[in-house]
Amino acid sequence: MAQEAFETDFWKDAGRRRVWDDIVPGEPRETIPYVLTLEAIQKYCRAVGENHPLYFDEAYARATPYGGLIAPPSIHILLMFACTPADDWMRSPGTVNAGQSWSYNIPARPGDTITLQARALDKFVKKDRLFVVHDNVFFNQHGKVICSGRGWTIRPM
Amino acid sequence: MTTTYDSIEPGYRIDGPQFPVSRESIRQFCDASLDYNPLHLDDNYMRGDFGKTNFGGIIMHGMNNFGLITRMLTDWAYPLGATHRRLETRWIKPVKPGDVIQPAGTVRSKTKSTKARWVVIDVVVRNQHGEPVATGEAQIEFPPQQTAAGTQGSAGKETQ
Repeated sequence: MAQEAFETDFWKDAGRRRVWDDIVPGEPRETIPYVLTLEAIQKYCRAVGENHPLYFDEAYARATPYGGLIAPPSIHILLMFACTPADDWMRSPGTVNAGQSWSYNIPARPGDTITLQARALDKFVKKDRLFVVHDNVFFNQHGKVICSGRGWTIRPM
Repeated sequence: MTTTYDSIEPGYRIDGPQFPVSRESIRQFCDASLDYNPLHLDDNYMRGDFGKTNFGGIIMHGMNNFGLITRMLTDWAYPLGATHRRLETRWIKPVKPGDVIQPAGTVRSKTKSTKARWVVIDVVVRNQHGEPVATGEAQIEFPPQQTAAGTQGSAGKETQ
């Protein structure tokens, strides 16, 4: 499946993105399905030095309880940007990540079509900074939860 | 000694891999994560102030720490037949090109639930000066205790 080219200039759509004032806690965010390729998994692995054969060696992976190649749990780092459109506020330049918590259910696998259900859950002011708490759940094409998590970001002022 | 759930005690240490941070490694993480926030790309932008903070140049993605901690946890858990189930992190200090960071874990506690056994691990990523740049906690799930008749949880099913 052809996927739209990813816009790497985060300034380009900056004017269309919601600022802190516009974000409505509880309101679903627009998301887009994403086909996770082996190439994308391995590119992510190389960037953090992941070299486990479960991510690279099909014959090895098939002989394990996983039954085939998988993605590392932290693949949601990629999925967060892959499953959100260019005008999503997570791409606002100056967005600072303050912390994250994630729970893992089943692994994502090469060829999976990943969908995301996401929303801002809360927003607040602390130490003169504008925070948003966002929650996110990633599913595979069978409707099974891959992982779920919350992030705390400081919004640009 | 072979590591098993029973042999793990509070204080047990897990050492993660050293990771040299460079402009190239940060750029590679942009391409791998699709996170092209100018915080990680644009030195001119980063010379400006962010409220009371001035970073003075590009910084590494906080989630690069997260990815390294995950790598440490899964590399430890897979050979034990255990599963990485949860990771919570906070960023303490920015990481910049030239820094060398390394995650480590220390077992805080062990708990048995109805169907599994759990290890709770305090995690920290330190830079080359020994300063924490990220802290957090993780949970690793071990399967139920093995018995002579097989796994306790599945033994019943086999006799049905």
